[in-house]
Amino acid sequence: MSKVKELEIKNKYTGELIRSIPADTLESLQEKIKKVSKNQYLLKKMTFFERSQLLSKFASSLRFKKKQLKDLIVAEGGLPIKYSEWELNIVTNGFKFCDWYYQFIEDTHLTGIEGEQFVTIKHIPQGLAACVSPRNTPISLPLYQMGANYLVGNAAIVKPSTACPLTMLEAYSMMEEVNLPALEALDLIIAPGEWAIDEFLRSSLVKILMTITSSHTAKDIMVRYGQILKKTVDKSMGVPMYTRPFKQFVFECAGNDAGIVMDDVNLEQVAKWNVMASYTNSGQQCFSMKRIIVHRDIYDDYIDCLIKEIENLKFGDPTDPDVDIGPLGSRKILMMMEVMVADAKKYNTKIYTGGEKVDTGEDYGLFYEPTLVEIRPEICVDLVKSPFLWREEAFGPVRSVTKANDLKDAIRLANASNYGMRAVVYTSNLKSIEIFKNKLEAANIYINAKPMLTDITVALGGIKDSAYPPGCKYYPQELVFGKYIYDGTPANLNKIK
Amino acid sequence: MKLYVKPTTNNKKYKTEIAKKYTIFLSQYPEIFSDLLYGSHFDFAIYDSMEKYENETPVEIFNVFCNGNGIEINPGKANGSDLELALSVKAIEKLIQTDSKEDYAKLLGTFYNQPDEERGWIDFLLHKRTQTIIDMGYGRFAKTAGLLDDENDT
Repeated sequence: MSKVKELEIKNKYTGELIRSIPADTLESLQEKIKKVSKNQYLLKKMTFFERSQLLSKFASSLRFKKKQLKDLIVAEGGLPIKYSEWELNIVTNGFKFCDWYYQFIEDTHLTGIEGEQFVTIKHIPQGLAACVSPRNTPISLPLYQMGANYLVGNAAIVKPSTACPLTMLEAYSMMEEVNLPALEALDLIIAPGEWAIDEFLRSSLVKILMTITSSHTAKDIMVRYGQILKKTVDKSMGVPMYTRPFKQFVFECAGNDAGIVMDDVNLEQVAKWNVMASYTNSGQQCFSMKRIIVHRDIYDDYIDCLIKEIENLKFGDPTDPDVDIGPLGSRKILMMMEVMVADAKKYNTKIYTGGEKVDTGEDYGLFYEPTLVEIRPEICVDLVKSPFLWREEAFGPVRSVTKANDLKDAIRLANASNYGMRAVVYTSNLKSIEIFKNKLEAANIYINAKPMLTDITVALGGIKDSAYPPGCKYYPQELVFGKYIYDGTPANLNKIK
Repeated sequence: MKLYVKPTTNNKKYKTEIAKKYTIFLSQYPEIFSDLLYGSHFDFAIYDSMEKYENETPVEIFNVFCNGNGIEINPGKANGSDLELALSVKAIEKLIQTDSKEDYAKLLGTFYNQPDEERGWIDFLLHKRTQTIIDMGYGRFAKTAGLLDDENDT
C-alpha cells in the first residue's frame, strides 16, 4: 500500500485538478517519524510561554494569508466560503490566545491535612504524537493537533486527509517561511490512513495516537494495536509477556447530538440558530445538531419556522458568498444520505423538506438537499428498533426531528443514543436549565448558546462512543502526563542528614 | 468603577504625521477605552507593511495608560506594556476619517477580520498572559472596538 507516488487533489465542486502532490511512502514516513522524534529536544529548550508566543505570532501570519487559505479550503474541501471563515478563525483564535491553556497543565501544589505543601503534580509532555485528521476540516483540526503538541512540547507528525491536504501543506510552508523555531520537531505525512496508522501503531517512537474519525474506525485501531501486541507476545515465562508498551489513544469520534427546543423560547430566533447548528458545512460536522427534539406544544409552529429557514438555505458554488451548502466531500456521503432517508421511509416517517440529491455522476459537485425528517418518538428510544438516521451519525445535510411531551421526555429522547458529544438546549425556564445540565448524557452541554462558537473555551471530547478517553477535553491536557512529586525536604532534611 | 477618560496628548512629540493625526483622533473617542481597568498600559504601533510588522520594525509607537483619573496618550513604548495593537498606515488613514464611534469600531473590526495590505490591517500581540489581559478588561475593550464582533449573530 505504500506505493502511491503522487496524489491528485481536485476541486470538490468543479472537479478541476488543483494540484498534484508527492505522497509519502512507508520509508519516507519512517524517516519523518525518526526525524521529529530526534528533534523533540528543540521544543524542550523553550518554555511553554515562549512556545505560546511563537504560536500566537504565527496566528497573525495565518490571518494575513487568510484569503489564500480560504480559497484552498473552499476548493479542496468544498466548504462554502462563508463557512471557511469559521474554519480558519477557530484555529487562529486558538493559537492567538494559546497560553490560556496553561491553566490545565501548570504545576499543581497540593496541601496536606496539616497544611504542609510537600506535593506537586507536574505535567510532562508524553512524547511524539501521531495525529490523523478528517476530511471535513482541511485546516482547523490538523493545525490544532499540531499546535497543541507544539505548545506542550511534544514532537508531532500530522496526517491531514488525502482528500484535502493542500491547506495544511500551505500552513506548514508558512511555518517554514516565518522560521518557526523547532519546526524540525513537526512534520506532515501525506498518505492513506490505513497503512500510515499501522506504522504509527508499530513505531515505538510514537507515544500518542490522536485521531479524529468514526467511532468504528477508532475501535478498529484499538483492535489492530491488540493484534500487534499479540504478535509480539513472549510466552516463554508461562504467562503472556507483552513487550510492546502502552500507547496513549486520543480519539475524537462521531457525534449524534440532540438539540432540545422547549415551549418557552422565541421560535424564529431559535430556528435560525438551529439551522446553522444543523446544516453548516452541509451537516458534515461531528458536533452538528443532528437529532432535533421539540416540545409538543410548539411543535407545529416550530416545524414551520424550521422549514422556512431550511428552504432559505442556498446550495451550490461554494465560492459564492451567499451559498450556505457546498458540495459533499465524497460519493460515500451522498450514498449514506440516500440510505438513511430510504431507511427512514420504512418507518412511516415524514419528510418535511428536501430528500433529493444532485448527482453529477462524477466524484465532484455532489449535493444532497438540506433535509428534515420527522421520526415518531415511539421508535426513538429502543435503538434496535429505531431508524438508522436516528441511531447513527448522519454526516451530511439530513436531520431528524421528533416530539417530546415534557422536559423529562425530552431528556429521555436525547439520551437515547450511543453517542454523547454535545447536547444543546433552548429554554428560558431557569429550573429546567439546571435539570438539563445534570441529566443530559453528553460531555459538552450548551444551554441557550449561539452555534458555531470560536471562543477559546470551546472544548472537544465526548462520552459513550463519541470519544476516548471520555469527557470534555482540551487537547493540551491529553498530551501530557501527571507526575507526582513528594518533596519532604523541609520537614525531614535534618533527620536524614 | 468606570474611568473618566481624559486624553493628555501632546502631538508635538510625535515624529510622524500619521501618529499625530491618529492620537488627536483617538482623543475624540475616549469612551473606546472605558472598559480598561486602572493600570492598563499598552502600545499602538504603526507599520507601513505586513513585512515590517513581522520583522517588528514599526514607523512609530505611542502608548495609552489608564492612570486612575483618565487616559494618558504618550509617545514611545510603554514600560511593561500589556499588549501591542499593530495598525497599518493605510488602516489609520481610513480610521481617522470615520465620524462616529460605531463606524470607527466597525472599520477596525473589518481591518482585523479581513486584513489586506492594500486596504489596511490591524493585529495585536499580547505581552502578558491571556488570562491577565482578560482580567484587565481588554476583552470588553476589544468588543467595544469592534475586534470581537460576532459575524454569525442573527
